[in-house]
Amino acid sequence: MSVYAYDQIDRDMLADRAAEFRGQVTRRLAGDLSEDQFKPLRLMNGLYLQLHAYMLRVAIPYGALDGRQLRALAEISREFDKGYGHFTTRTNIQFHWIRLKDAPDILDRLAAVDLHAIQTSGNCIRNVTADPYAGATAEEVDDPRVWSEAIRQWSTFHPEFTYLPRKFKIAVTGSAKDRTAARSHDIGLKLTRNRDGQLGFEVMVGGGMGRTPYLGPTIREFLPARSLLSYLTAILRVYNRLGRRDNIYKARIKILVAATGAEDFGRQVEAEWAALDQAAIDLPDLELARIRTAFGVVPFEALPARSTAFEAARAADPAFARFARNNLAPHKRPGYAIVNISLKAPGETPGDATAEQMEAVAGLAERYGQDDIRVTHAQNLVLPHVKLDDLPVVFAELQRHGLATPNLDLVTDIIACPGLDYCALANARAIPIAQDIARRFETPDRAEAIGELKIKISGCINACGHHHVGHIGILGVDKKGEEFYQLSLGGSGAEDASLAAILGPALPADQVAPAVEALVDAYLGLRSDASERFLDTYRRLGPAPFKEAVYADADQA
Amino acid sequence: MTLQALTANRLLDGEVVFWSGDAWVEQFADARLYDAEAPAEAALASAKGLATVLIDPYLIAVTDDGAAPVSFRERIRALGPSDHLDLGKQAQGGAAIAAIQHAHGAARSTGRLSLIRRKP
Repeated sequence: MSVYAYDQIDRDMLADRAAEFRGQVTRRLAGDLSEDQFKPLRLMNGLYLQLHAYMLRVAIPYGALDGRQLRALAEISREFDKGYGHFTTRTNIQFHWIRLKDAPDILDRLAAVDLHAIQTSGNCIRNVTADPYAGATAEEVDDPRVWSEAIRQWSTFHPEFTYLPRKFKIAVTGSAKDRTAARSHDIGLKLTRNRDGQLGFEVMVGGGMGRTPYLGPTIREFLPARSLLSYLTAILRVYNRLGRRDNIYKARIKILVAATGAEDFGRQVEAEWAALDQAAIDLPDLELARIRTAFGVVPFEALPARSTAFEAARAADPAFARFARNNLAPHKRPGYAIVNISLKAPGETPGDATAEQMEAVAGLAERYGQDDIRVTHAQNLVLPHVKLDDLPVVFAELQRHGLATPNLDLVTDIIACPGLDYCALANARAIPIAQDIARRFETPDRAEAIGELKIKISGCINACGHHHVGHIGILGVDKKGEEFYQLSLGGSGAEDASLAAILGPALPADQVAPAVEALVDAYLGLRSDASERFLDTYRRLGPAPFKEAVYADADQA
Repeated sequence: MTLQALTANRLLDGEVVFWSGDAWVEQFADARLYDAEAPAEAALASAKGLATVLIDPYLIAVTDDGAAPVSFRERIRALGPSDHLDLGKQAQGGAAIAAIQHAHGAARSTGRLSLIRRKP
């Protein structure tokens, strides 16, 4: 057991939900429901109309899956879609070629493996983002999945918070190292301990991307962990009461917090919290313990820290050594590693996985990874618990399925939204830009020499590709019906969060990859040494040399 | 006036469709092109009544030679995603698809960086 175990109440709820949607689809097709009546109902079940077909967004609760669930997603992609799925920056999966008439059958298939599309759309509390290394990294203070599951149970169909002014996204990180972009969420929660050793959260509120990006300020340095749900209730109540409903562009909580000021907003939340019947909302310790137990216990073996098989393979195979350098992270237990599976093979679509690849990852998780799979907000997958001894065979299997790209957090590990290739909201394509850049840097030695460089591409101002927090952010814009791209530099979604600043005028599509190359070349000439990341060099020197690198030719024209 | 075509998504499966004058068809090449406002608006009004067949019918601008939609977005709808050339309408291939793929709009890139000028 690796994911939270559903009980009969959970399963009945999902079955009821799927049956209800089947009835709604039948009524829509018969003309008993108009599109205006039906649209909010289908959106509440994750079904959007995109450019070429319907798109179904399936929730992957806090990015955690087991092999059985990933196999079911593979089967759905093969049977109802076109044999692939797209993992998103909110750790969900989207199928882009869905037929309305098939959607109820798909919800049944999902429900059979405890999956659904609830909280993937609408102005509700969306699927929670959590650290993909949860339960595996020694850095963590506590397992964020336990708290994310508590939030899921509290927020699902919450009558008071189903029609908020706008959508609402929460991230939970278990360690100081932030792999969730916590400050870019409506609420970011960082597990921490106070001086007395008591478990709690740092509470950040009012972050967000979109057309008006903000990093969420901290409104409470330490909230006792057991008070989480009542404090979230207080925040949501203040937002529900004061958040703007008259202007969709000003309806997110980030606008309210910025307008009110973090201190004043925090005071209002504290006042609301003090007036609440907290005991009626917060989970009793017994229930928290039950949730924790429902994730099961990983049967780790007592292993030596050093694996002969791993070391031998690393010495014999340079490709394996490179993969180990770039895609492995330390595990809390000796003899284990966290394996990052990049879905960014140069030339491929970022975040896409074929049915065969999903089945391969499911098989590896079942055989070598405690049946545990995570999805990251960078659109990659993680096997959080793999024995060092098993890594050579896991690597070989990943290679066989085109999943062994050794580029985690490197220049080719690019985040890109579906963009205008699929999305009805987009102004420009994001995928071909990512492919162009990745091909240009596909030589692994070159990518490694450049070091950590996070490029994030959005096809419109909604910023699903997180361009505001890219070391290099790229935003697609529409100029007279054609695609142009605005470059921004200096953003970060990690613990050193910052917002990127626009570098200069937008570029035509075919000039984006050359411009990125110019930026990288400038960085390589400017960095103090190989340990100074692109982001650090930018922060040290500012935009001037980078602006010069991209736009110098323009001045000479 | 600018040439126009009538498009929508099909309710049952979301497929992009065009009005041929007789039927809703899947290829832009089979779309009826309107060179006058009144018949185009009349076709649109009629399409809006087909609530159990279509979602969101609307008129799109078409290039003067009638070969392709003007806007990039509409060309993608008429083709399919550019990361999967084997999927969508473009998979059919042929001269009509090639014409859309090679169409350019008002602001096409020349491929020269010197197009971009920095503000003083």
